Amino acid sequence: MFGLTDQPIDSAALHAKLARADAGACVIFEGRVRNHHGGKPVTLLEYEAFDELARVEGAAIVEEAERAHPGSFVTCVHRTGALSIGEIAVWIGVASAHRHAGFLACRQVIEEIKRQLPVWKKEHHPGEEPQWVNCTVEVLPSRLSPENYYERQVSLPEVGPPGQTALSAADVLVAGLGGLGCPAALYLATSGVGKLTLVDVGKVEVSNLHRQVLFTADDIGAFKVAVGAARLRQHNPLVQVEGLPADVTAANVAALVTGRTAVLDCTDNFATRFLLHDACRMAGVPLISAAVYRFEGELNLFSPATPGCLHCLWSGQDAAALEAANNCSGEPVFAPTVGLMGIMQAAETLKLLLGLTPAANFKQTRLVNLLDGSTCAIERNADPACVVCGPDAVQSASAPHGVDISSVMLTAEEVIARAPLRTVALLEDGEILDAGKAPAAAIGIPVKDLAHLRALARERPTLLACRYGIRSAALARLLRREGIDQVYSLIGGLAAIHPRDSRIAADRGFRRHEILSTHEKNARDPSRNL
Amino acid sequence: MGEPRKIQVRFFAVLREQAGVSALDWETEARTATDLYGELKAKRGLTFPAGLLRVSINERYATMDTPLQAGDRVVFIPPVAGG
Repeated sequence: MFGLTDQPIDSAALHAKLARADAGACVIFEGRVRNHHGGKPVTLLEYEAFDELARVEGAAIVEEAERAHPGSFVTCVHRTGALSIGEIAVWIGVASAHRHAGFLACRQVIEEIKRQLPVWKKEHHPGEEPQWVNCTVEVLPSRLSPENYYERQVSLPEVGPPGQTALSAADVLVAGLGGLGCPAALYLATSGVGKLTLVDVGKVEVSNLHRQVLFTADDIGAFKVAVGAARLRQHNPLVQVEGLPADVTAANVAALVTGRTAVLDCTDNFATRFLLHDACRMAGVPLISAAVYRFEGELNLFSPATPGCLHCLWSGQDAAALEAANNCSGEPVFAPTVGLMGIMQAAETLKLLLGLTPAANFKQTRLVNLLDGSTCAIERNADPACVVCGPDAVQSASAPHGVDISSVMLTAEEVIARAPLRTVALLEDGEILDAGKAPAAAIGIPVKDLAHLRALARERPTLLACRYGIRSAALARLLRREGIDQVYSLIGGLAAIHPRDSRIAADRGFRRHEILSTHEKNARDPSRNL
Repeated sequence: MGEPRKIQVRFFAVLREQAGVSALDWETEARTATDLYGELKAKRGLTFPAGLLRVSINERYATMDTPLQAGDRVVFIPPVAGG
């Protein structure tokens, strides 16, 4: 319930309305007139409201808080007219099942009132002209205005006033508000992307906090998009942020992406990745996608106009087949990896909106490894027979990804069952093959030496293994698309068979002893086994 | 600029004081709220910077580039200070 009144607020009467048998908590906030502001004495406040809009906005603020914090019931009354010191200007009471939702809902209502409610106050000081709060000449230069906020960005020659206008005209969807989505959305908001929509069905959990930087311990249990949208508005009140507490599904994906300037895929599962990708391609919307595995990240820009899509990348397999191997929900995460990749997504999105993206970037998979500090870009191949982006593309978001191609990704068990495969260990710049970390008879080849890898994979069935299994997967997919059909990638990479990392090996169902028995034939130097 | 038409404008707080009135029936060719504010600034002595304003059209927040229709009820919203 929201009300406006020009009569003194009766706190006790409102308090009585909060009694509910199902409410275990009652949170009350009273905003009162105090006798000083900005170091000056205050004698009186005059409140003025745009009555019709204030009632509509006030009711919407209350409803939004109740929706964002289920189980809370909000009563809010705002005063108008002349108020003397000590009088109540705004009264907010929340009855809720649990205290946490009550505190959060109450906080949300007062912050939204200060941001949105068309109410103004005029401050009276002894011996001075009264002043409208937030509207005086002295505070204007330091106030939030686009000129002030974006000053240091507009001065970049690559941005300039036209670039800033392009950013403010943009309408961007961030799908997934986790480790990637939080930093991505934060930088898009502070850079002035005019309209941001956040979609995520999740609520803040304790285990999110180490990497999902828009949330604090106070937010546990609240919808991520509600907390995230509120925080982004605090960071930049000049942009419009909407939060949708929903899953991305086949039913809603087209509506979510259509008409956007760009879409960011910050999700953690392949089913959603494919949904977003296909819908963006159909709607003609560019997609900026990132994925993370522990210390490694992968970034892809998909332009609807450029062949070489997610299906080409994943060899036409369907999402369900990849889900088990690549769903990183619940996986261990190195927080800076998601932070960096999310910020890279924001950077790529801003570049796209500013027209700064080199054409080559639309055809590349960029890989980052935070353990060894390496980065590299691999050109994605376009599959001429691709069901989604090829000349005979199936024009349906629910198109069957029915190209029959055997799995690229193998677990160690499958590797053993499938023997003989030649194992190629992919080496980073400056890295040499460590016999203690690779299966016996493995050949070490620099990851960037595509010609050599291609030649080897053509000779006979080949298993690519890199440190964590991401680069090898990308390369195996690329080589498959070149027609080399007996190339595979080891899930989990060399880390999964590292003798000292038995927990990962166990997680991934390795028959460690079978692999290690081969290792043990090597006279390995334990000092190198770090 | 388009065809002249009547817009109902109301003022609150600092803008009401600058305009010297609470409401105006304003005949204008202004295409958008931004254009309309520019016109009011020039003709009614408003000094408040346009960049800090929001606008309400027919009792709903709208953007300053929203095209105006005959009969629209327009309110320019200076920075709010509720609570």
